[in-house]
Amino acid sequence: MDKKNNSRRNFISKSALAAFAALAGTKIVFGENFPSELEPIGLDELETPEGIPGKSDALTILNNKPWNAETPPHLLDPEITPANLMFVRNNGIPPTEYDLEKWTLTIEGEAAQQKKTYTLKKLYDNFAHYTYDLTLECGGNGRGEFNPPAKGNQWGLGGVACTRWTGVRLKDVLNDVGLKSSAAYIGYYGADTHLSGDSSKVVISRGVPIQKAMEDESLIAWAMNGEAIPKMNGYPLRLVMGGWPASVSGKWLTKIVIRDKEHDGPKMGGQSYRIPKYPVPPGTKVPDEDMKIIESMPVKSIITYPKTGAIIGKGQSFEVRGHAWAGDLKVKAVMVSIDFGVTWQKCELNPPKNRLAWQRWKTRITLPEFGYYELWARAIDENGKGQPMVLPGWNPKGYLNNACHRLAVKQA
Amino acid sequence: MTDQDKEKVYEQAIKQAKNTINVASVLVLAGVVFMIQLTYFPQFFSSTDQNISAFDTTAVDPMVMTMDLDPTEIENGIHVPSGLIVDDGVDLVIRTCGVCHSLGLVTQNKADREGWKDIIVWMQETQGLWDLGATEDAILTYLANNYAPVDEGRRRNLEVLEWYDL
Repeated sequence: MDKKNNSRRNFISKSALAAFAALAGTKIVFGENFPSELEPIGLDELETPEGIPGKSDALTILNNKPWNAETPPHLLDPEITPANLMFVRNNGIPPTEYDLEKWTLTIEGEAAQQKKTYTLKKLYDNFAHYTYDLTLECGGNGRGEFNPPAKGNQWGLGGVACTRWTGVRLKDVLNDVGLKSSAAYIGYYGADTHLSGDSSKVVISRGVPIQKAMEDESLIAWAMNGEAIPKMNGYPLRLVMGGWPASVSGKWLTKIVIRDKEHDGPKMGGQSYRIPKYPVPPGTKVPDEDMKIIESMPVKSIITYPKTGAIIGKGQSFEVRGHAWAGDLKVKAVMVSIDFGVTWQKCELNPPKNRLAWQRWKTRITLPEFGYYELWARAIDENGKGQPMVLPGWNPKGYLNNACHRLAVKQA
Repeated sequence: MTDQDKEKVYEQAIKQAKNTINVASVLVLAGVVFMIQLTYFPQFFSSTDQNISAFDTTAVDPMVMTMDLDPTEIENGIHVPSGLIVDDGVDLVIRTCGVCHSLGLVTQNKADREGWKDIIVWMQETQGLWDLGATEDAILTYLANNYAPVDEGRRRNLEVLEWYDL
């Protein structure tokens, strides 16, 4: 796998060279229309070290430009996801130079009482510190199963993690700046750069309504699992707002705007991180004005033990366990089926460590006889909404697939 | 038959036998030479003169469209470094799409021609993709032919890469 990725990287470097050689000569890629400010970013690949910086080789790489990688479900077994196993979902190129003395966070906007800039040290020294376990899930986690398919990285199950975040409360900083009564929304800006190399282009700038921003668990964080945040996950500073699409939790954070209306940065509008306002048949083209922003993520669970493909000895029982989460809500129950959903066995379910942390569940299973079985897990949130066994409502960009996790086991 | 006649027959028989041995020897020698050449100088017998085959217009060489691809990097119709299916236009896809993003973003997606066109328009409107001009048609044809959607229903069968004893 490593070798393959490496050879792919080298190849892309070569193909970028070929493309630029072509520009000079044969005009195969329509050189006259190629924007002059577009840097040959493919050439940067030559300087990229092996694999994803700071990440385990065990991650499944979906995209290397920009880096996108997910965690195989069985590696999500620990209560807290290890830093090198947390998924990577980048929209652009992370910054490569970090001067922690000079890194600043500016708060401004039409609904801010003033414009104020904080150094990292000032944030650290002037505000109370808090630590929470927070579940971050990519809005497109599970996209790969939608039919007809949606464009984008074809995520499987592993675009999710629960890690231990430390920082200051976003609301403490916002209150220090001062909110006007018109404050309705916040938006973030980060130091990552656009894939096209165009430095004037903002990669992504999303946000949340002011109510979500003012929750206790909404953090401006500088540490994950007691260490600096991994470079691919937002070092040195990021927003963390659990339970919502992870794209609201801006990485490489440099600026927060306090808006008097819904934030309108790149990937807030159009079809991005939005679903139809009403259910549509699969494959429908939905006009932008009929789309709404995704807020709290739906209830979901994964089986982290055993790994799919387990062969169980005759008469043996085995533990089945995993995590469950439900956006802003708590999970009320988790059930497991070994007979394709005909009967369900209730699991032991732990409370969350804190609000917006995922919940551990487990049970013991005995397979009745020789044969092929599927383990299905289904969680139900505190409002009684459960995971569907088939794909949930189709949507144009393939978000919010919370269909129950299935894996295969056999009894010998 | 007189003794003289008998002698003539013997002489002829011996002559024939000698001829046969000579021919056989020549054949064996030729065979040995052939084997040596085949073993040590195989190019002597192979007709790989590319200058000549390049003039052959009756056979359309699929590599003409993919001149930049190294044939040793193609396995089972897949260009291994990029992961793309080898077909007309694959070189354009590599050179055009591969400039800005991973080609994995091509191979993992599926769409019909209209869907791929939408994706190109989206990249042009929001991601700084330039006007593809006349190459767009060839790129769309390649993508629609090789990365078309498959109806997989509301849930597909599970695939297990490796069974193991728990």
